[in-house]
Amino acid sequence: MPGGRAALAAVAALAGGCAWDGPMSTLVARSDLARAILHVYGIITWVTAVIGVLVFVLLGVILVRFRARPGAPLPRQIRGHTLMELGWTIVPALVLLVIAIPTIQIIFRTQTAAAPRGALEVTVRAYQWWWEFRYPGLEVVTANELVLPAGRTVALRLEGPDVLHSFWVPQLGGKRDVVPGRLNRIVLTPEQPGDYWGQCAEFCGASHANMGLRVMVRPPAEFERWVAAQKAAPGEPSGAAAEGKAVFARSACVGCHTIQGVSAGVLGPNLTHFGSRTMVAAGMWPNTPENVAAWVKDPQRLKPGVKMPDLGLTEEQAKAVAAYLVSLK
Amino acid sequence: MMATHEAALRRHELAHVPEATGLWSWITTVDHKRIGILYGASALFFLFVGGLEALLIRTQLLRPNLSVVSAETYNALFTMHGTTMIFLAVMPLNAAFFNYMVPLMIGARDVAFPRLNALSYWIFLFGAIFLNVSWLVGAPPDIGWFGYANLTTRPFSPGPSVDFWMLSLQILGASSIIAGVNFIVTILNMRAPGMTLMRMPLFVWMTLVVQFLIVLAFPPITVGLIFLMFDRFFGAHFYDVAAGGDLHLWQHLFWIFGHPEVYILILPAFGIVSEVLPTFSRKPLFGAPVVIYSGVLIGFFGFGVWSHHMFAAGMGPVADAFFSIATMLIAIPTGVKIFNWLATMWGGTIRPSVAFHYAAGLVALFTIGGLSGVMHASPPVDLQQTDSYFVVAHMHYVLIGGSLFGLFGGLYYWWPKMTGRMLDERLGRLQFWILALAFNVTFFPQHFLGALGMPRRIYTYHAGAGWNLWNFVSSVGAYGIGLGALLFAVLAVRSLRSGPRAPADPWDGRTLEWRTSSPPPPHDFDEIPPVYSRDTFWREKYGDGQGRKPAPRPPAPGPHGIHLPAPSFWPIVIALGIAVAAAGALTSLAVVVIGAAVTVVGSFAFALEHHRNPAHAHQEGGLGVDHRKLAMWLFLGSECFLFGTLIATYMAYRGRSVVGPHPHEILNIPLTTASTFVLLMSSLLMVLALAAVQRGDHAQSRLWLAGTAFFGLGFLGFQAWEFVHFVHDGLTLQTNLFGSTFYTLTGFHGGHVALGVTWLLTLLVLDLRGRLGTQDAIKVEVAGLYWHFVDVVWIVIFTLVYLIP
Repeated sequence: MPGGRAALAAVAALAGGCAWDGPMSTLVARSDLARAILHVYGIITWVTAVIGVLVFVLLGVILVRFRARPGAPLPRQIRGHTLMELGWTIVPALVLLVIAIPTIQIIFRTQTAAAPRGALEVTVRAYQWWWEFRYPGLEVVTANELVLPAGRTVALRLEGPDVLHSFWVPQLGGKRDVVPGRLNRIVLTPEQPGDYWGQCAEFCGASHANMGLRVMVRPPAEFERWVAAQKAAPGEPSGAAAEGKAVFARSACVGCHTIQGVSAGVLGPNLTHFGSRTMVAAGMWPNTPENVAAWVKDPQRLKPGVKMPDLGLTEEQAKAVAAYLVSLK
Repeated sequence: MMATHEAALRRHELAHVPEATGLWSWITTVDHKRIGILYGASALFFLFVGGLEALLIRTQLLRPNLSVVSAETYNALFTMHGTTMIFLAVMPLNAAFFNYMVPLMIGARDVAFPRLNALSYWIFLFGAIFLNVSWLVGAPPDIGWFGYANLTTRPFSPGPSVDFWMLSLQILGASSIIAGVNFIVTILNMRAPGMTLMRMPLFVWMTLVVQFLIVLAFPPITVGLIFLMFDRFFGAHFYDVAAGGDLHLWQHLFWIFGHPEVYILILPAFGIVSEVLPTFSRKPLFGAPVVIYSGVLIGFFGFGVWSHHMFAAGMGPVADAFFSIATMLIAIPTGVKIFNWLATMWGGTIRPSVAFHYAAGLVALFTIGGLSGVMHASPPVDLQQTDSYFVVAHMHYVLIGGSLFGLFGGLYYWWPKMTGRMLDERLGRLQFWILALAFNVTFFPQHFLGALGMPRRIYTYHAGAGWNLWNFVSSVGAYGIGLGALLFAVLAVRSLRSGPRAPADPWDGRTLEWRTSSPPPPHDFDEIPPVYSRDTFWREKYGDGQGRKPAPRPPAPGPHGIHLPAPSFWPIVIALGIAVAAAGALTSLAVVVIGAAVTVVGSFAFALEHHRNPAHAHQEGGLGVDHRKLAMWLFLGSECFLFGTLIATYMAYRGRSVVGPHPHEILNIPLTTASTFVLLMSSLLMVLALAAVQRGDHAQSRLWLAGTAFFGLGFLGFQAWEFVHFVHDGLTLQTNLFGSTFYTLTGFHGGHVALGVTWLLTLLVLDLRGRLGTQDAIKVEVAGLYWHFVDVVWIVIFTLVYLIP
């Protein structure tokens, strides 16, 4: 999109050529929705930048040229000029049309009432402070990492079981609030495989900052393989992992978490294929045995306000549980 | 400026009236100038408190993964920073200038209701203290300054933190509405002879617009807060999703207030700039009528754009498109102002005082904030920017680059008038450049952070998100802002201690405040100044465009001589009662009762303090209307928005209850028809009562006043019976949404009737004791206006709640 790239270039020029392709950058568009937005973004950035420069130049000229000189006579007491004032009322109105028309077009193009035929339906449930993704057609439930096939339209249904949240993955499009009691939708088509960062964008309590997510866009074939793996039961653990499974099964973990064949809790994320995810605790740390062990041992300290209680696990037990969880590919 | 012999004599007399000093004189003051100074000092104090909170925020974000403060403390810091800066710093700083300057600029000796003015201040101060006590008891609000439901409800915020926030916001709102009514009456009714509306200085005009915004915009949020209070304290269901509540309700109520609030914060600064730029360019404001109309238009449109704060909330494409276009329209009058200011400076002889620096700084920085605002007006773009640091940058450009720069301009401009001392212009210029530079270093990079996807209100961030550099820069800039603010404090203290004495007219000013001494005497002007045009004082000095000076006019004598209002301590008593009641809401019912009792006793004492004082008998103003009557009409306008919000909520929630009983199962229409008839008949008796008081027919006035009150009591009896009956049938505030909305709406109306009955009975007692003469007819008339309004509201409620199935 020329508009979008131009916007990016304009902002980049202003900042002296910094990195604008950060993982959450709104200036990098990797879906049809994000591209449509960036198109208007570019137009508006240019229009407002031109007006801004105009005002600044005018102000600069005035401040230099009309500074009082010693002995200057009283200036002419001009009270106004109707034609000029009409001019700077009408011209901005016309300029606004340049912004308004594409804006309205994009609003109606991107906010379709129903999901298009053949779209992949995913229900997003936002909890304090993690994300659940349900694929109703595929009978897959996962958490914090949304896996999508590239090139296929996806219809996200946003549902909120507790407080307001907002689903935002900048490179795939604008945010949309998750409103308990209301159904909001996002329809978009991711275009390139990749790992996209997202984060809750509506303040939702103590750990609002710790409510990240990832969208893993994969080539269609890889997505199919992922679905098949998710539907399969996890493999039987061995060694330390087997010990971890025993700890898990007899501790309070089972009250909140589902692991297929082990437990059926629903208050926390489904952990059946925990080991297939890249991050732990809603995007807080990489999913390594060390991080998971630290997390299950001390959740209250590591994630303020988290609903997961301290379970009183010993160092060894925590390591065993971590080994087990990471083994759940 | 020739003073007549008579005026000179009077000045001689007045010079011998020493101004009271000491703490008690400040506590009981009703002088608009002293109240202005109290507002200003409090606002500057809270500006530093809010600034300290901001510095802690920026320190936490200096680097990724810092833990200078905990997550909970951080969340409290940004909540309190926003609430403090908006309600305790910028609004009262505006109020300081309204108070000090508006009477001077319109050539008046005080505001219309000096004691109400004191009441506004003390309520504000106690509300501000109450909010900040939350820090001391370890329960600061931590829900963001717009407190989105349902995070604010008891299940998600169990402690008292939200209670502090919602109670103090209601207290502060009451203060603002009282002040709003007061200033509208003052401006409309107390202008010096010759000062037509179009001759009013721009600052007065913007003040007038702001007061209308306050009077009309605060009721919706007050209702929203009352709903929240009922949910939290009494188990109602307004924001309870499981009971059918709609979380968009709070967002709508908040932003119907919240967007006009943006203009409440910025328009006074626009007014100041419109005074400062002409003064220091030595030219009149270019196209002043257009600047006035554009300010009025901004205020008017300000009520029609609130949902642009909700583009991410999912209102659907039609609403998004509507609010997008409406928002873009606001850019037009705003742009007009910018261009008119530029044209004002064009061709002028610019004397770059510090005040001018700030005014020109506003033109530049507000332009940036305004243009990023245009970007948010486009919903698709807004979906990438809202709730990110881009919006944080935008609002700080508007509120610091706009409001605060305007207010600093006002401080430098009016400081000599208010204190009688000059500020250091040379160091002042340094102070401006430190603040301007540090401000841009802090907030311009936040646009980049927003573009890079950094959400607002996060206490920590990933090192790998690409936000490290700009957060570091922004935090460094914030310390610079702190330095600039401190330097101002130093300059202020030095000026007060040892600054050079200020002459009456240090800047060669254009408006009336420069025509009296610095600081002005307690009575402001020895003689009410004549008014020839908008820059009336300039014209007296320099003449019109052709240099023709106006013929000296004989001073217009005040209709009743110089009457200075007597000090009163009842305002602080009432305010204290309110604060005690609020504290009781968090502790025990007994304390609530004590606070309410103090408030009631204080209110009666306040109302009757000058009941028979002849100086208070006639309060007719320039519009030919009594101040009190005008104030009542304005208050009723505010009440329309209050009841409108209550009724709209009832209608929106109709049929959403998930359990019974439902309206048609329980409402007793024949009975309510009878009670409605009784209430309407009371209006008839009220008319008779007023006529009797005007005639001085005490036998009849007593009869009809008693009759009106009796019929009102009859209506309340019906309502009590109805409520008891409903509770018996299983409908309470807690039962369902119907119960919550029905009891709140009809209960509020009943409360109004009860207040009216109390008022009528008070008048009746006065009448029985022979203390209600024909000169008091105005008091009965004002009570009657209120009474008729309450009756009319009931017709609407009766129709919508009872008759329409």
